[in-house]
Amino acid sequence: MKLVVVLPMLAVLLGLRFVKPRMIVWLAAWWAAIFVTLRFGFATPIPVSVVKLYMGIVTLALTAYILADRERMRQVREPLTAFLVEQRYQPALMAVAVLIPVLAAVQVWAGMTAEAQPPSFARTVHPAPPDSITVHGTDYPLGTQDNPYRSLEGTNPAEFEERLQDGRRVYYENCFYCHGDLMAGQGLYASGLNPIPTNFQDPGTIAMLREAFLFWRISKGAPGLPEEGGPWQSAMPAWEKFLSDEEMWNVILFLYDFTDSRPRAVEAHS
Amino acid sequence: MTAARKAGRLALLGLVAVSLATAPAAGQDGAAVYGKYCSQCHGDNGDGQGVAAPYLKPWPRDFTAGKYKIRSTPTGGLPTDADLHMVIREGLPYTAMPAFPNLSDAELDAVVQVIQGFSPDFEDPEAQIPPIAIPDPPQWTEERAERGLQVYGETGCGRCHGDVGRGDGMSAPTLTDDWGQPIRVADLTMPWTFRGGGTRRDIFRTMSTGFNGTPMPGFHGALPEEDIWAIVDYIASLSGNTVDEPYQNLVRSVPRAGGLELEKADELFAEAPKAMFRVVGQVVQPGRHFQPSIYAIGLQAVHNRRDIAFRVSWHDMRAETTGVSGPDLEAPSWGDVLTALGVGRGPGGGSGDEGDGGDIWGGAAEESSDPWGDAVADDGGSGDDVWGDAVADDAGGGDDVWGDAVADEGSDDIWGQAETSAPEGPTGPRAEFADAVALQFPLQNPSGVRLPYFLLGDSENGVQLWFADLAAGQPRLYSANGSDKVVPGDAEPPEMIASYDQGEWSVVFKSPRRVPGSGLEFADDAFVPLALTVWDGFMRDRGNRRGLTPWYYVHVEPIDRPSPVGPMVKAGVGVLAIELLLIGLVRFAARRKRNAAESA
Repeated sequence: MKLVVVLPMLAVLLGLRFVKPRMIVWLAAWWAAIFVTLRFGFATPIPVSVVKLYMGIVTLALTAYILADRERMRQVREPLTAFLVEQRYQPALMAVAVLIPVLAAVQVWAGMTAEAQPPSFARTVHPAPPDSITVHGTDYPLGTQDNPYRSLEGTNPAEFEERLQDGRRVYYENCFYCHGDLMAGQGLYASGLNPIPTNFQDPGTIAMLREAFLFWRISKGAPGLPEEGGPWQSAMPAWEKFLSDEEMWNVILFLYDFTDSRPRAVEAHS
Repeated sequence: MTAARKAGRLALLGLVAVSLATAPAAGQDGAAVYGKYCSQCHGDNGDGQGVAAPYLKPWPRDFTAGKYKIRSTPTGGLPTDADLHMVIREGLPYTAMPAFPNLSDAELDAVVQVIQGFSPDFEDPEAQIPPIAIPDPPQWTEERAERGLQVYGETGCGRCHGDVGRGDGMSAPTLTDDWGQPIRVADLTMPWTFRGGGTRRDIFRTMSTGFNGTPMPGFHGALPEEDIWAIVDYIASLSGNTVDEPYQNLVRSVPRAGGLELEKADELFAEAPKAMFRVVGQVVQPGRHFQPSIYAIGLQAVHNRRDIAFRVSWHDMRAETTGVSGPDLEAPSWGDVLTALGVGRGPGGGSGDEGDGGDIWGGAAEESSDPWGDAVADDGGSGDDVWGDAVADDAGGGDDVWGDAVADEGSDDIWGQAETSAPEGPTGPRAEFADAVALQFPLQNPSGVRLPYFLLGDSENGVQLWFADLAAGQPRLYSANGSDKVVPGDAEPPEMIASYDQGEWSVVFKSPRRVPGSGLEFADDAFVPLALTVWDGFMRDRGNRRGLTPWYYVHVEPIDRPSPVGPMVKAGVGVLAIELLLIGLVRFAARRKRNAAESA
């Protein structure tokens, strides 16, 4: 939320309660305030097509509000009719009557001369994993698989620390070119890749995934993605070609440790 | 984090903590920060020998030497605290040194103390040289930039940076730092890659203070301030005052009347916008290449009704126009690379002298003792190797050829001869691997969103490569269904012409828009996926050891673009008609109502 935008809009709507403007002004103010909030009020912008959808709903709701009451309807209809009929509004009416077709023509022109945009592919970032994978001859049932070394955290802290250190070595020998030193997806190559490397600091990535999911993504890389993940365009290598299973589990321990996050636990299976 | 693990981690940081006896309070925090963020590259002892070091170019700084590139102090001086803060906060572009915006000011202070603690120089009061004042930049002017070009020439900047700043000076291939490591000369046309920053203020600082430990001198005191600003403005003009990365994801092919004559490439592409694409190393499959020498590649495209032509251009320190090339050559295996990298060997060792396969630039397990990884090192008995001979003459047969070659002015003569004897372009000495470039397209236009795998396709979706062999000056056509299934194509390859001028390769391909022997067509208004690969022979690139881009697109702008006037008029008149109808109806209704009221 951008408070710089949202708070003034709230102030305007609150102010309407005290000013008590004419119905038609009230309508326009509500419509505009909601539009400005949706369009500019969010740090991550809402897509234009979705804003259009929302504004369609808002228009319907406001219309229903007006139609529900005879008096409100009259308050809206009368000024509109006056504008279209009365002599004193004639110049303004003519200006509006010319302006709207011109705007329509400009929109057509803009659409026909717009810079062409390359086709985009809305890939699924975290597609559903397969039931099981085989890595270096070992079968891993992804639904129930846990990091085999996670339990060492409690039972053998010394070995766990060793594994973290090995994971750290693996990370800085292999991963940080893309995923970056801070694991924020801003490695040296990030600006040359599409899709960009995953930001592990984002709570929407590894913190909401299970370690087995990471093991699948690391071992099988982009070529192991299902179609909806866009296996043809991701640069994630299939690390089973370079790393042992143990190294992959170790680097997973390191990812969570470095980012101070915990993996999602395996859900209870009946 | 459990207490036991915390204790284990602190023990690991013990080595760091030792050097912090002077500042125990800050030291604890500083050691933790250093241990988490710095030691993987710079090493637990600050000697630049962390686990990642062998993979990096340039090498991580060896803090024990007290030699720092980015400073505000004169040549030979130590960086100020503010200098170190700045480097850590902002990072060094196009190196593995990232920006650390996440550190608090206190953490930054603490880690700077740790770093300074690695070198006794920071405790020597005599080594504390006050910084050079960096004035506010004057407004950029054309006149100053023009004078800058003159000063640039007189000062000899071009000997390393090239006559037009493309990092292709005669000395460029021979330069090493104080640790004997080869270093790349900055390409002055790409300020976003400058280690010390690309703003005019940054360039003034770099020009004034130089880079300690490298051949880049500081000109503070050696050149009048206005001359330094003149060079700064000239450098800024080389990129059109662009400081940020200008990369794109689409190249527009523009229609052109008449034939597409390859010989008149400059004229042909004069109106075609140049898209710059970032080049990254092929690190996904065996043959991994961690630091490709080409940062960026430019692409232009034009077409007429029959043909389409692409011009690929990139900056290369030296043209390798001998030796072999090809996407199907075997690249060094991952295991060989690891062996050759000699993991565990320190950067202080000076791989150039050791001759133990320390081929870091080349990344190959070959017998090369040459830190650049160029094939010249196998010059042992090959008498016709220009470079080998030149080096032998220069260095008197010594092993440490690079240092001598740099110091010895004689090397310029060799280059002079090489240039005059090769009028085609200032090509390098005989290399084992030639420079090459390839455009990658799908075998046929994709029907949906699915593309072939960006690394040379996959078993179901093949790609074609328009390949330019720059040793033979000949085009070749390949088709591929994955890196291990690259085969020469059956059809006639596209036409190709190549030139190398002042550090820039320019390669033009031309093909019928309906590409022979494949299902690919560059139809009007179509978006055709394309990817690029570039091989630098100097770096021993070949096969899957290459710099590349992911899929981008070329948009073929329609030759017959429909005029927007007709649809505009239609839309306008339509809307107007509806308006008039609406107004008319409302007025009609209003009049009837009034009449009714009057008659009543």
